[in-house]
Amino acid sequence: MTLAPENPLAPETPAAFPVRGHTARLPWPFPDDLEAFRYSVNVEPARLVRQTAAGSWGGTIVDLGGEEYGAIMADRRRILDADPHRVRLMPGMGPACWDLLVYYLRDLAISYPHVMELSEHGDVFHWRNHALGTDQRFVVGDASTLPYDPMTFLGREIPDDLLLVKERDGHLCFDAGLVTFAAAWSVSFDVGMTMTEIHNPVPRLTREGVTSRAEQFLRRLPADQVYRRVNWTLSASGSRKLDVSLEELPEWGTDIPALVRDEDWARLQLRIEVEHFIRLPMTGAVTFNIRTHMTSLEEIRQIPAWRRQLAQVVLELPEDLAAYKGFLDYREPAMAWLTAPDRTDPDRTASEKELA
Amino acid sequence: MSATLERYPAHLHPGYRTQARALRVAAVAPVAEDVVHVTLVDPAGVPLTPYEPGAHLVLTVGTDAAGEKQRNAYSLTGDGVVPRTYEISVLLQRPEDGGAGGSARVHALAVGDLVEVEGPRSSFAPRHDQRHTLLVAAGIGVTPVLSHARAVARWGGSAEILYSYRPGRGAHLEELRALAEQPGITLHEVVGREASAALLAERLADQPLGTHAYACGPPSFLEAYEAAAERACWPASRVHLERFAAPELDPGVLFSAVLADGTSLEVPPGTSLLEALLAAGRPVPNLCRQGVCGECVVPVRSGEVEHRDLVLSDAEREAGDVLLSCVSRAACEGGVIEVEV
Repeated sequence: MTLAPENPLAPETPAAFPVRGHTARLPWPFPDDLEAFRYSVNVEPARLVRQTAAGSWGGTIVDLGGEEYGAIMADRRRILDADPHRVRLMPGMGPACWDLLVYYLRDLAISYPHVMELSEHGDVFHWRNHALGTDQRFVVGDASTLPYDPMTFLGREIPDDLLLVKERDGHLCFDAGLVTFAAAWSVSFDVGMTMTEIHNPVPRLTREGVTSRAEQFLRRLPADQVYRRVNWTLSASGSRKLDVSLEELPEWGTDIPALVRDEDWARLQLRIEVEHFIRLPMTGAVTFNIRTHMTSLEEIRQIPAWRRQLAQVVLELPEDLAAYKGFLDYREPAMAWLTAPDRTDPDRTASEKELA
Repeated sequence: MSATLERYPAHLHPGYRTQARALRVAAVAPVAEDVVHVTLVDPAGVPLTPYEPGAHLVLTVGTDAAGEKQRNAYSLTGDGVVPRTYEISVLLQRPEDGGAGGSARVHALAVGDLVEVEGPRSSFAPRHDQRHTLLVAAGIGVTPVLSHARAVARWGGSAEILYSYRPGRGAHLEELRALAEQPGITLHEVVGREASAALLAERLADQPLGTHAYACGPPSFLEAYEAAAERACWPASRVHLERFAAPELDPGVLFSAVLADGTSLEVPPGTSLLEALLAAGRPVPNLCRQGVCGECVVPVRSGEVEHRDLVLSDAEREAGDVLLSCVSRAACEGGVIEVEV
């Protein structure tokens, strides 16, 4: 993987195939043959490269985002600077955050050797990220040697939301998090809760035993395996905005009603979350890190296999799940737009398309 | 997302390996009568896998008469933070005291030797949110306690250490005394069974709210610790211990095990389910064979189980969906257990 931008001379018009950049790297959340979605413990080994109808994804634990890396990180840092409460650590989670930082910096330096370097002399580490200009020496475990706490330091280097779960009194608890890109939840509200408490609002999940199976899976996660899971919804914003957290509700709360009113379905975003589960060996904490990707219906429309599958899955979803995911009220017109046959001219405006 | 193009190893960095691999002996030093301290390093000089305080390393110490690998678990004595060495302290167990020869082979190691290890594995970790810790060690049980104490010192917590040893046999006494120089860490040294029991009772009765206690030592010492903690009204969830060995078990009842493919195995008294499974050619990972390490856990589909291990929590026993095949059996004579093996 390289951070070099795409060829600037590439045609602006949507190419038929192969698709480039953002869409080619997108972790399409559905298996090829999936027609109906229900929640399950849909985990698979990490680093497995998956081919999609538009490209491939998944070779690394951290997806820097190609040419979007700089913009995502600028967004992350802006949010952290403006709202320090996006980082929440329960008592005793300091060592686990160091464990997380050491694991990720080591992994990044191997995954992106042309961009990132790490040298170690005992506890003394030297981290360089040439894409962002970071050059930091620090002593593992000594907070005074970093400009931020270790979780924040890592969160300012990679696009993933960082979540750590740890066992307390027989339950897995979400005891540390740096979350700037939450989908309608708040790290301040959820931190310290058990997995069951956090997932109670999701229809069917706890009643059908998915939460307890997922918790069992995380509790028994072996030290020598890394797993991942893909989750999805339609975003609560009709833009690439990743931060649709409860903290920012006033900023995005009217987006979808406006989009629905204007029938501007092209802007609707499929939000894809790739979660990685790693048992950190120094503390036994387990990561639940989330990397969020967005793609618009306009982009999905250009991949025939995707447009058919998304419409099928969204329309088939039972009402309670569609309501939870937030698209019960508008899924029919949105999916009708997505699958309408004569959507080939990219110059037409949304309203013209609706008149056509 | 159907096609798989390529598969990578789980961890790219070599400092996260836990599978069987060779380490080199870098130092061997006596630290008390009959106790040697062995320092292991990676032959290629790469960092070793970090570990939780109280974790152990499994060493292949030889082969038994049947040609099977003989593996012993030894507590690591470091704080586990990005380690460059793995260090263990091993008490020589003489054959007349029931030693099977493993510790003698560790004592025979020399600098430069290669040793096969697995792990580290965590089974005696501190509670991350403990506000204070009471660390209790007797004899060679000091090794995981030293690891806990070093981690407390590294991360700036507070600890009270109680170390019971016989004169001249106080391994790692100097290290503990040095740690006790740090603010927040105190050390009580005690000699003799009665004095230890009295001090234990006194210290258990005088800990701040939020304290977790951890103990390692011989079985009789741990029984006394558990009883003293109960008398001092400690909730069981705050009383942690690590055993070297499990108490003797009776041979148990005759029962049968039905396997995933429908095969039925008779398990007579004196034979463990694990032994029956292995004899039937079903590979089940195992290590201590005493219900202590948790390695031989087997999923259970049905059947009433008498759990005789020291690993599963009360909640896990109640759920009844796993058992430790080395010690646990059907609850009644002639019972049937369905296992997913």
